[in-house]
Amino acid sequence: MPDLVLSDIRKDYGAVRAVDRVDLNFAHGELTALLGPSGCGKTTLLRMIAGLEDPSGGTIRLGDQDLTGTPAHKRKFGMVFQNFALFPHLNVADNVCYALTISGTPKAKARARAGELLEQVQLDGYGQRRIGELSGGQRQRVAIARALAQEPDVFLLDEPMSALDAKLREEMQVELRLLQQRLKITTIVVTHDQREAMTMADNIVVMSQGRCEQVGPPQEIYHKPANGFVASFIGRANFMSGRVRDGAVQVAGRTLTVDPAPKYLDGSAVTLALRPEKARLGDALPDGNRLPARVTFLRHVGATRDIHLDTPAGPLVVEQVSDRGGDLQIGSEVEVHLPPDAIHLFPAEAAAA
Amino acid sequence: MSVEATDPALAATGTQEAPARRVNRSLAGRIVFCAVVAMLCLLPFVMVLVISFGEKIEGAGWVFGFDLTNYRRFFVGADWPNSTSFLYLQKLGWSLNYAVIASVLAVVTAFPFTYFLTRLSRRAQTFWLVFLLSSLSLSEVFIVMGWDILLSARSGLPMVMQETGLTDWLKDVGFFPTLRDWGLASPRNVKFKTSVLATVLTMSYLVWPYAVILLYPALSRLDPALIEAARTMGARPWTVIRTVVIPSVKLALVGSVLLLFVFLLGTYVAVTVFAAPAQQTLAVSIYESVRGSTLNAPFGAAQSVILLVTAVVLLAIGQKLSTAGGRA
Repeated sequence: MPDLVLSDIRKDYGAVRAVDRVDLNFAHGELTALLGPSGCGKTTLLRMIAGLEDPSGGTIRLGDQDLTGTPAHKRKFGMVFQNFALFPHLNVADNVCYALTISGTPKAKARARAGELLEQVQLDGYGQRRIGELSGGQRQRVAIARALAQEPDVFLLDEPMSALDAKLREEMQVELRLLQQRLKITTIVVTHDQREAMTMADNIVVMSQGRCEQVGPPQEIYHKPANGFVASFIGRANFMSGRVRDGAVQVAGRTLTVDPAPKYLDGSAVTLALRPEKARLGDALPDGNRLPARVTFLRHVGATRDIHLDTPAGPLVVEQVSDRGGDLQIGSEVEVHLPPDAIHLFPAEAAAA
Repeated sequence: MSVEATDPALAATGTQEAPARRVNRSLAGRIVFCAVVAMLCLLPFVMVLVISFGEKIEGAGWVFGFDLTNYRRFFVGADWPNSTSFLYLQKLGWSLNYAVIASVLAVVTAFPFTYFLTRLSRRAQTFWLVFLLSSLSLSEVFIVMGWDILLSARSGLPMVMQETGLTDWLKDVGFFPTLRDWGLASPRNVKFKTSVLATVLTMSYLVWPYAVILLYPALSRLDPALIEAARTMGARPWTVIRTVVIPSVKLALVGSVLLLFVFLLGTYVAVTVFAAPAQQTLAVSIYESVRGSTLNAPFGAAQSVILLVTAVVLLAIGQKLSTAGGRA
């Protein structure tokens, strides 16, 4: 099966540009998450891929086949909707084999296929139930089975977990990922939940204001954010502003070394980003890259705790495993170490976005 | 402290007396209410039922009685058993015929209109709904007058067809005799008065805004995601309508047809103007019995009772069919 390739895709609603010049390549058999805050254009992009929305410009290709003008019903892309959109007038089995029934598959064969699919989503025996009798999680499984019935080339899911409660959500994420790997089907999931994207995806596309901010595997996106927006949206980050000088960064009158060395001109204003779990407190701190700090707040979150600090460079949050780091009190004077290889530098104006 | 001391006493008297009084008052109120409802709704019907068993006195009025003559006249004719006549059963048949065709026609044509209406912007929807609601303020007489002019032989559509050569063209292609067979043409030109077509068209026009208003809630509640889901599963536009939209609003469709059907059973003006004398309905016959030339109130009442019972029976059957279909 060939890859799905978007080139220069745009979507305008009047003067508003919802999706702006997106180039993406969805490799066969991989799960890609479109991740971003609400209103960033990710759902619009998914709907254009499904054929439910016409792009204002650009092309959508599956291998050498141009699908840009192809209507949704000729694309053979299965889609799971945010509210599942199950047909209330049909029972579970008829919902699942809808695509087969309307394409004229013999009834017995369609029924058998529905049974098979329901088994795959662990709902065997539910075929005769009415949609109204199902729980949220069961409805989602039916929606997934229904979208897979036509053996789609591409499997699209629009915020599939948003209607489920938190515990069920995590189970379904794992389950969906396993199903997707078993079927080896090209899958695109829209989500605003970075944990969901990290759990399931081979690749994450971080979107903001209609643009792709970064594309890459979850670990790369987390550890090497391309800009301030990605750093703040994926996980948590401390931001400080500084100025590049002699291969190091000046922050609040102190010199911090950065590894690799900054590739900016001397004197350019930069934003530093640092994950809370990378900053270190305690006694045996390495030399250099230290800031004096005062503890302003302690927040215990089970296995870890957040230590809020006040430093010359502004407020800073450090995440620590709870039983490490000794006794800290609000008001304690400490030193915080910022490891050079954990500091990310971005141009100053990009972080404002 | 003093407040607390007096409070329980107050509360005690309150709980003992007030509910009793309230019960009395609400019971009395309910009886009065029921009596008023019975007076307003039931009494006229009971009167009609009683009168239907009354006896007509030739050359005078009528008297109360218990006489089945009126019903016998309805089903087998006044002269039975010497001869039988199904004249009034035929009139009932025409009543049902017009009402069924016109209500189905109205709902079938209003359905696509309403479907596309619900896909318009909010502002456009409001405009259309207000427009349709205001068109309901037109009386039946006014609408029939309009259609009367539109379909009249001398100044309406037939004249236009003659003048534009459409009639001659119909004659040339050989379709004219077919129209004559259908009763839609005189030897010289097409004619719509009197015809079943004109009657049914006017009747469905009368209830068309109601059909839209009845279908609107169900269609506007229809989740657009259902339609999109069907499209992503390979359903062509017509397949979507057939397999998703119509099943989702089936109850509203059946309900609208039933309601409009009952409403149209009583159509009077449109039938008197557009239906041929031999194809008049029971509603017209009832009016003539009660107010018209024959002045036979008991027979008019008997016809009314039969029309009402027929409507109730058909409604019950329709209801049963639609709910059975919904469960299957």
